[in-house]
Amino acid sequence: MTFPERLSTGGRRLLDRRGFLGDSASALTSIALSSLLASDNLLAATEPIRPTIDPAHPYTPRPPHFAPKAKNVLVIFCAGAVSQLETWDWKPELIKWDDKPLPGGPAVTFQGPAGNLARPQYEFKPRGQTGKMVSEMIPHLAELTDDIAFVHSLTSKTNTHGPAENFLSTGSIFDGFPSIGAWVTYALGSENQDLPAFVSILDPRGVPQASSNNWGPGFLPAEFQGTTLSAKDPVRHLRPAGGISAAGDRAARDLLVRMNEHHLAQHPEDNSLAARIASYELAARMQLSMPTLNDLSTESAATLKAYGADDESNPLKAAFARNCILARRLIEKGVRFVQLFNGAYASGGALNWDGHSKLKEQYDVHAAILDQPAAALIKDLKQRGLLADTLVVWCTEFGRMPFFQKGVKGRDHNPDGFTCWMTGAGVKPGVSHGVTDDLGVKAVENTLSLYDFNATILHLLGLDNTRLSFRHNGFDRRLTDVHGHVIKEILAQPKQANQGMTS
Amino acid sequence: MRHVFPFVAIVCMCSGAARAAAPDFVHDIRPLIEKHCYACHAGEQAKSGLRLDLKEAAFKGGDGWGPAIVPGKPDESPLVQFARGDDPDLRMPPKESDVPPLAAADIERLVAWVNAGAVWPDGVDTAKVVDKTDHWSFKPFERPAVPAVHDSAWPKNDIDRFILARLEAEGLKPSPEADRRAWLRRATFDLTGLPPTPEEVEQFASDTSPGAHERVIERLLASPRYGERYAQHWLDVIRYADTHGYEVNTERPNAWPYRDYCISAFNADLPYDQFVREQIAGGEPGKEASTGFLVTAAVLLPGQIGADDVSKRAARQDALNDIIVNVSDTVLGLTVGCARCHDHKFDPVTARDYYSLQAFFAGVEYGERMLETPEAFALRKEHDDARRRITAIDVELPRYQPLARAGYTRPPVTPHLNTERIAAVSARRLRFTILDTNVYEPCIDELEVFDGEGRNVALASAGTKASSSGNLVTAGVHELEHINDGQYGNGRSWMAATRNNGWVMLEFKEPVTIERIVWGRDRTEKFKDRTPTSYRIEVSAATGGDDAWTLVADSTDRLPFGTKEKTNLTGLSPEEQRTVAALEKEKTSLQARIQTIVRDTRVFAGNFKTPHPVHLLNRGDAEQRKEELAPESIVTFAGLVAPVSLAKDAPEPDRRRGLATWLTDPKHPLPARVMVNRIWQWHFGTGIVDTPNDLGRNGSKPVHPELLDWLAAEFVDSGWSVKHLHRLIMGSATFRQASAANTTGLAKDADTRLLWRFPPRRLEAETIRDTMLAVSGRLNLQMGGRGFDLFRSRGGLSGFPPIESFDAGGRRRMIYAHKVRMERDDVFGAFDCPDAGQSMARRRQSTTPIQALNLFNSPFTFHEAQALAARIEADITAEPAATKPHSDPVRRQIDRAFQFAFTRSPDALEMSAAEAVVREHGLATLCRVIFNSNEFLFVP
Repeated sequence: MTFPERLSTGGRRLLDRRGFLGDSASALTSIALSSLLASDNLLAATEPIRPTIDPAHPYTPRPPHFAPKAKNVLVIFCAGAVSQLETWDWKPELIKWDDKPLPGGPAVTFQGPAGNLARPQYEFKPRGQTGKMVSEMIPHLAELTDDIAFVHSLTSKTNTHGPAENFLSTGSIFDGFPSIGAWVTYALGSENQDLPAFVSILDPRGVPQASSNNWGPGFLPAEFQGTTLSAKDPVRHLRPAGGISAAGDRAARDLLVRMNEHHLAQHPEDNSLAARIASYELAARMQLSMPTLNDLSTESAATLKAYGADDESNPLKAAFARNCILARRLIEKGVRFVQLFNGAYASGGALNWDGHSKLKEQYDVHAAILDQPAAALIKDLKQRGLLADTLVVWCTEFGRMPFFQKGVKGRDHNPDGFTCWMTGAGVKPGVSHGVTDDLGVKAVENTLSLYDFNATILHLLGLDNTRLSFRHNGFDRRLTDVHGHVIKEILAQPKQANQGMTS
Repeated sequence: MRHVFPFVAIVCMCSGAARAAAPDFVHDIRPLIEKHCYACHAGEQAKSGLRLDLKEAAFKGGDGWGPAIVPGKPDESPLVQFARGDDPDLRMPPKESDVPPLAAADIERLVAWVNAGAVWPDGVDTAKVVDKTDHWSFKPFERPAVPAVHDSAWPKNDIDRFILARLEAEGLKPSPEADRRAWLRRATFDLTGLPPTPEEVEQFASDTSPGAHERVIERLLASPRYGERYAQHWLDVIRYADTHGYEVNTERPNAWPYRDYCISAFNADLPYDQFVREQIAGGEPGKEASTGFLVTAAVLLPGQIGADDVSKRAARQDALNDIIVNVSDTVLGLTVGCARCHDHKFDPVTARDYYSLQAFFAGVEYGERMLETPEAFALRKEHDDARRRITAIDVELPRYQPLARAGYTRPPVTPHLNTERIAAVSARRLRFTILDTNVYEPCIDELEVFDGEGRNVALASAGTKASSSGNLVTAGVHELEHINDGQYGNGRSWMAATRNNGWVMLEFKEPVTIERIVWGRDRTEKFKDRTPTSYRIEVSAATGGDDAWTLVADSTDRLPFGTKEKTNLTGLSPEEQRTVAALEKEKTSLQARIQTIVRDTRVFAGNFKTPHPVHLLNRGDAEQRKEELAPESIVTFAGLVAPVSLAKDAPEPDRRRGLATWLTDPKHPLPARVMVNRIWQWHFGTGIVDTPNDLGRNGSKPVHPELLDWLAAEFVDSGWSVKHLHRLIMGSATFRQASAANTTGLAKDADTRLLWRFPPRRLEAETIRDTMLAVSGRLNLQMGGRGFDLFRSRGGLSGFPPIESFDAGGRRRMIYAHKVRMERDDVFGAFDCPDAGQSMARRRQSTTPIQALNLFNSPFTFHEAQALAARIEADITAEPAATKPHSDPVRRQIDRAFQFAFTRSPDALEMSAAEAVVREHGLATLCRVIFNSNEFLFVP
């Protein structure tokens, strides 16, 4: 009736352990369990770990593979490929080379003929204790650099937006693979049983390029699909259609329970029947808890101002700011994985970061939407103590070329060296890892793949990217395929995160 | 500027180590390797394809580095290079691992051993080479003997003997027979994806003569609903969709003929070998849609692929990979795709096999093609005639238009179409300069320039080149080459880079005499922004220079943009006006007809071109080409199936025909087993092998191996008849068991793999929707053709806003929905509906709160609950008084609702609970509850 996962021997032993410990969900148990397993050397093995999902309680917290640094994740996903050269990766050499051709550079890149090199379109200034040079395009985010671990040497497998967003979010350039949020909630469940475990907040301007691939379950069970919402559009079907009265709705609900219980009594052994009954209970709890999430009237005027949610001169910024507040609330409530989109579909760079032809003009607009609200969100999380348990990731699918495209003032796609960053739980503050060459053409030191970046996210959550696995069509599928090394240089207290836990 | 040194350069700078007495492999070298390398490089799952626990594998080396050990040449042996850390980033063991690096003395010993000839004696390896071909599914199947059983009364056919023998061996008993109501419901869902009607229930209940079950099965197999149901299973596997996927996810408008081909193939019980052959080699004329199978995957459109050659080659490899994966997963149940980057780690498929298979498909492209039926030929002739007539009209019409710059007042610019009639002039170049637009950057969807014969000389296909002041590019949508590509609409247009102005220039291949220029913002009349409102058109007889321009038309003699009046501007006589109106009307209707013909004579299926050379690629990288390969079937099976091996220059159709012959060879150990396993799964929820796309060594083992082989033999002997298998399986006592669980069964076999009962399961997404419509009486059974929309618009900024209220066209069976890749239906998508991204060989059965919200609260449920209530009320009103089982109309309504939904009457408890709700809140409330109930959603 259900399709429980085929268990490896290791998986079965894990299960037995879990049975032995009972179904307790506390973090204490998780850690106790990890230590117990570690003492058995069970986790030293390399066989896949495939969590067993109780169909009646798919979001029950499940133990990580080893003691985690972070309990939940906020991903700020800037769609359209943010130029590293206008933001975090300072290339003063480019000023000298401005409007000169790149010697030996490619004649043709993704979208067509290459033009001359172009200086960073914004001024850079040293920031904080580290003196890290960050662009004036994002003055609010720039204030946070002392807390951030930058990775400047990331590479992608493709220079096309759709496949590249797939690669960033699913570890495959192809359609149809599970997103990282689905992997994480499949592995860990969620701390909050009244809300979805994985929420994707869409940009007020529209859906990102690869759309639902970024939050899809792929071949993982559908429970782990991201639920999309925004401050403007709540979860679908939260209220009955057709103007059904509250009394009629309650009567329907009660009758459904009675009919299902009556049916269950005749089929007492069937778990999936019980699971469906439970799913209606969770749905009912969601119906109660979701509407309060979007009610910003309980936020103070100071908070609204800090986020820019009250900025009437810039409705898009205000709308994104409200999404940022929503993101904080979800994290506060223990939602495991929150994905916050900034930027929508391509549209010639008008609605996302795809600055092919008028980069500066468009980035002025986009930066005004992103900067203050996103920075306020991170500061707010920190101030409320939530960063102790929350990993914040800022990412984009690839970077941009140091030269303009021929005839226009914008940069083409560059998957060979771009920047993403992390801050919060388990992240070493104030470091910059990996280097691109002096003009920002490609990564030259500590070149890393997005596989490594995703492996690091899993690691901080106490998950081993080489083992978290799901069997599909004859493959042991993983988020990072057969690749992915944890970027230890950006971890707080490197090498100690899982000391004593692995062999 | 910093540079990275290529790896090879560093290697060459290193000097060899000093020579020493030759170390012994077993005593000195193997312990080293064991300690420092085995953690990753031993056993079947060795990393990067490198095994160091086997002599043969070690000398062969891993992915991409060639032989790991080159005797006598330590500096050329990757084993030494990596251990020594010649490139610090690549040093082995990796610094982040817990395995210690080799000490200097160890490295010296290793170098000395290689220098001395790397003597690795035979027969000392402790590991054994696994024979990858030694696997059950790679061996021929023969019809196994049917096992003896103790309980000889239970079996109805041989399938039952296999099942019972295993149950008896495990100490289990089959379950009692399901009651007839449950069996009918199960059989009807199974074969048609719809519930039985109350009439069908009654008919079956009254048919007590022997063979009643068989008669139902025949009735169901003969129903067109059967093909719709089983084609859906097939489409899951081959990930069918009506869009191209990836970020643009544009419509693939003529994919549906393949979906209809599958439905009719199942309905006609097309022999499976022929089904496979037609899908790969193509069928007879008129069945072109069958090769839609090859190109069901998502694919990048030209504008989404980088303009550079590297991107193009990589995209082609991805597109070919999808074909190989589809064919091998679906037909062979073998994960051949694993061999794209390295030899398959588990199965006997090498990277060479992979690229030899690719050579069979080297001429296959994704795209639309013409149908080859007599009807299509006739339509195409009509199309050509219509085109000619339009050309003639286009020559005729401008005669009634005033010349530009001749002192007449001309009509205002319109966003969709503008004609500039000019005195004949010879031109080598033409420049269209935009001075202002109504809003934003200017956009032109097509700039046409006609000579005296009505030929469009601006077309790129005529050799005309376009240039511009700058382009605001959206790949695949707004591009300079769209200005003269002969295609209309915003989706194929040029946009200038600058706000409100810009220019575009055409350079003709040779001097041309031109009389007419036609342009528009969007001929399809969807977009009205970005329209050039002030412009100049100039020509030049020279190919260069900026001084030789002559103004031939501009906007100064046009009425202002937005002016409404259009009548009698041109000073035409009433008769001339009538002529113009008639010509314009004729043209419009011809254009509409052409659109219809183009649509009806095209199909998205395999397009077959001259094959390009195929090379073995190192690590699957299109930039690392090795030797050229010819089409050749997988070598491992050569002993069982006549191998197919063609020349490197074999013609395209021979390649696909050759492969199809190989795949449908009755002696082939895989295809028949794979298909009978799928059919078994479609009946019981789980296959005899529960990894239906992988019968290889990494797949699961069959729970009933002999039964699988027996079914495969039966399948081939029956002439590959799928319906024959349905009859056998559904005629078995195994299929007829009740689904109730018992503790003994659950204790020994919780997953019901041994079939001690019929495994109940939840309805699939499409079946839930179809069933709600069938029960509400609103299901539209129209078959075939273009799909209905689930979304109000597709892609772009608004995404996919769902349709919430469907008209009759949208109440067809869900297999006829326009399937948008990666976008699940708003209500039913959450019920594990595949997204057509990857093959979904077996649907999951998840349970989520989102499902509950969708089914409980959606407008779809609300509408169908209302419809069901109305249907019941009408039925009850029309019911003759004599047949009324209850006197009270509310109780009769409740009874009828249970009959429709569950094909049974409510018991007393259900009646009293329902009655209270219906009396207080109406019948539709009960209907809403019924659609959400477990009984409604599970196959009994």
